[in-house]
Amino acid sequence: MTLRIVIAEDAALFRAGLVRLLEDRGHQVCAEVADGDALLAAAARWHPDVAVVDVRMPPTHTDEGLRAALRLRSEHPGTGVLVLSQYIETRYATRLLAGSAAGVGYLLKDRVADVAEFAAALARVAAGGTALDPEVVSQLVRSSSHAAGLATLTAREREVLALMAEGRSNAGIAAALVISAGAVEKHVASIFAKLDLPVSEAHNRRVLAVLRYVGA
Amino acid sequence: MVIALPALGLLAALLAGGGAGTAGGNPRGAVSAYGLVSVVLLLSVLVLVPCGARRLAAVHSGLAARLLGERIAGPPPLRHGRGPARWLTATLRDGPGWRAAAYLLVKLPVAVVELYAVFLAAAGLANLMYPFWWPLFRNHPPGVRLGPVGALTPFGTLWVATFPGTFAVFAAGVAMILASPWLARGASTADRWLIRGMLGPGQLAQRVADLEQARALAVDDSAAMLRRLERDLHDGAQVRLATLAMNLGMAREKLGEDGEVPDPDKVRELLDAAHRGAKDALAELRGLARGIHPAALDNGLADALATLAAGSAIPVDLQVQVPVRPTQAIETIGYFCVAELLANAAKHSSATRIGIRVTGREDVLVLEVRDDGTGGANPARGSGLAGLAQRVAVVDGYLDIVSPLGGPTRITAELPLRA
Repeated sequence: MTLRIVIAEDAALFRAGLVRLLEDRGHQVCAEVADGDALLAAAARWHPDVAVVDVRMPPTHTDEGLRAALRLRSEHPGTGVLVLSQYIETRYATRLLAGSAAGVGYLLKDRVADVAEFAAALARVAAGGTALDPEVVSQLVRSSSHAAGLATLTAREREVLALMAEGRSNAGIAAALVISAGAVEKHVASIFAKLDLPVSEAHNRRVLAVLRYVGA
Repeated sequence: MVIALPALGLLAALLAGGGAGTAGGNPRGAVSAYGLVSVVLLLSVLVLVPCGARRLAAVHSGLAARLLGERIAGPPPLRHGRGPARWLTATLRDGPGWRAAAYLLVKLPVAVVELYAVFLAAAGLANLMYPFWWPLFRNHPPGVRLGPVGALTPFGTLWVATFPGTFAVFAAGVAMILASPWLARGASTADRWLIRGMLGPGQLAQRVADLEQARALAVDDSAAMLRRLERDLHDGAQVRLATLAMNLGMAREKLGEDGEVPDPDKVRELLDAAHRGAKDALAELRGLARGIHPAALDNGLADALATLAAGSAIPVDLQVQVPVRPTQAIETIGYFCVAELLANAAKHSSATRIGIRVTGREDVLVLEVRDDGTGGANPARGSGLAGLAQRVAVVDGYLDIVSPLGGPTRITAELPLRA
C-alpha cells in the first residue's frame, strides 16, 4: 500500500536517506521539512497518512519536534505520527502516548537500519497502530513496574505485554518469543483479566493494556 | 561632612562605655549593679559601633559612587549563625564593620578639609562682590568717616576702607575660588583612597570573591563544553552513522536472501554511499577527538603547537622555548588558547603571516600570537576573546590584547606554570 508521508528532520543527510528509503518502497513523500512549524503547515496542506518527525529540530534543538508531533496529533487525528530520535526519553514517550496510543510511534533512529521492520512500523502507525521502540518499552517497564495490576503479571506475560506495546500482532509476538499463537492468545487473555480490561467494542483492549502499561 | 558627625557621637559613646567598664572593674567592691550596667552598656556600644558604622559607611560609599564615580564592591554581608550568642560574637568580630568605624574616624579630618574648600568657594564668591556693591552703599557725603569693612580670607580678616581697597578683596576672592576646587579635589582623592582601602571587601574577601567567580566560570565552561560535545556528536557523527546504517540496510535488502541480485547497480550505489559515509564519520570523530584532547599534547606543547601550526592556512612562525614543563592542565589551556587565537586570526584578520612565540619564565608561561592583519580585535564585541580571557582567568592567568584598527594584532596570554 502506498503511504503519503511528510518528513520533518533537520539533518539533511539523514532526511535524504529516509526519502530515498521510503520512495524506494513505493511510498509517496509529500513534503520534507526541517522544523516544527513547517511540519504543521505541510500536514495542513497535504493531509498525509503518516508523519515521520525528529525530536530535536531548530530553533532550540530541544524537543520542538515532539511538541509539533503532539499538536499534529490533536489537530490532525487521522495522521499517524512516528517520532524518531537518537535518544529515548521516558518522559517524551509518556507525553506522546498520553490519551491514546493509536497512530503513534516512537523509535530510535538506529531502527531505520532494519529497513523492513522500519517500513512495517511506519505502515502500522499509518494504519492507527502503535510502534514503540524496544528501548522505550524496557525503560517504561523499569519505571512503571510498580503500577497497579502490572505487579501481578508473570515474567512471560510481561514479555508479551512489552511486545504488544511495541505494536506487534499476536503472530508477531509468537514469532519473537518462539511460542505458538495459541499460547500468545492465552497470555494476552490473562493480561486483560489481570489488568481488569473487560471485553468491549468501543475500546481496543490491546491499546488500553499498553496505555496502562506505560502509565500514560 | 554632616555624615561624619555621628562618628563623633559614636566615639564619645565608645569612650563613655570604656570609662564605665573601667569603673565596673573596681577591685574594692563586689560586682555592683553599677558594674553590671556598665558592662551591658559597653557591650551594646561595642555592638552598635560596627553595626552603625556599616550603615553609615554604606551611605558614604553610595555618595561616593554617585558624586565621585568611585564604585566599590561593598563588604560581604555579616554572616552569623542562629541564636543571640552567635550573633553577638559575629557582630563583635565583624572586620568590615570595625574598618568602617575606623573609616568614619579618619574621614573626620578629611571632611574638615572638604568643608574648608566649601568655605573658600563661598567666601571667595562673596569677596568678588565687594567692588560692585561698594559704590552703591559707600557713596556717603564728604567729611563723613565710616569704619572699615572686613572681608574673610584664608589669612585672616582683610579690612578695607576705600574703593581701591575692594580690588584687593576681589583679587583674594579670585584666588580663593581658584584654590577651592584643588583643595576639594585633593580631599576627595584622599577620601576615594580611604573608601577603596577601608570600605571595600578587604583583600582576603576580594580574593574569595574572585575565586568564587573563577569557580563559577570553570563550572559553566565545562558544562558548556559537554553540551557542545553532545551537540556535535548528535548533529555530526551520529547522523552520519545512522545514515550509513540505513544505506547498508537498504543494500542488504536489495541483495535479497540468496541467489541472483536483481539490481546490482543500485546495491553498488548504496554501498558506495555507505562507504563514503563511514569515511566521513571517521573524519568527523577524529576532528572531535582532537578537539577534546590533541594526542600530540602528551609529548608537550611544542609538538602539539607544531601540528597545529602545520595545519594553518596562513604561514606560521613558531618558536617554543619552555625550559620547565607546565602541568597538563596549563598545557591544555595554553594549547586551546593558541588554537583559538590562530583560528580567530585566520577568520578575521586577513593576515599574511602569523607568529607564535611560547616562552617560559620562572613560573609563568607566556604565549604570544601576533599577526600582520587588519587589527581591531575587541573582546567587548562578543568575539571569542572574552570567553578566552575568562578561561585564562580561571587559573589566575591574564590575557593582553593589543589590536589597533589597521593592525597589527598582538595577543599575549600569561599562565602560571602550575594550577
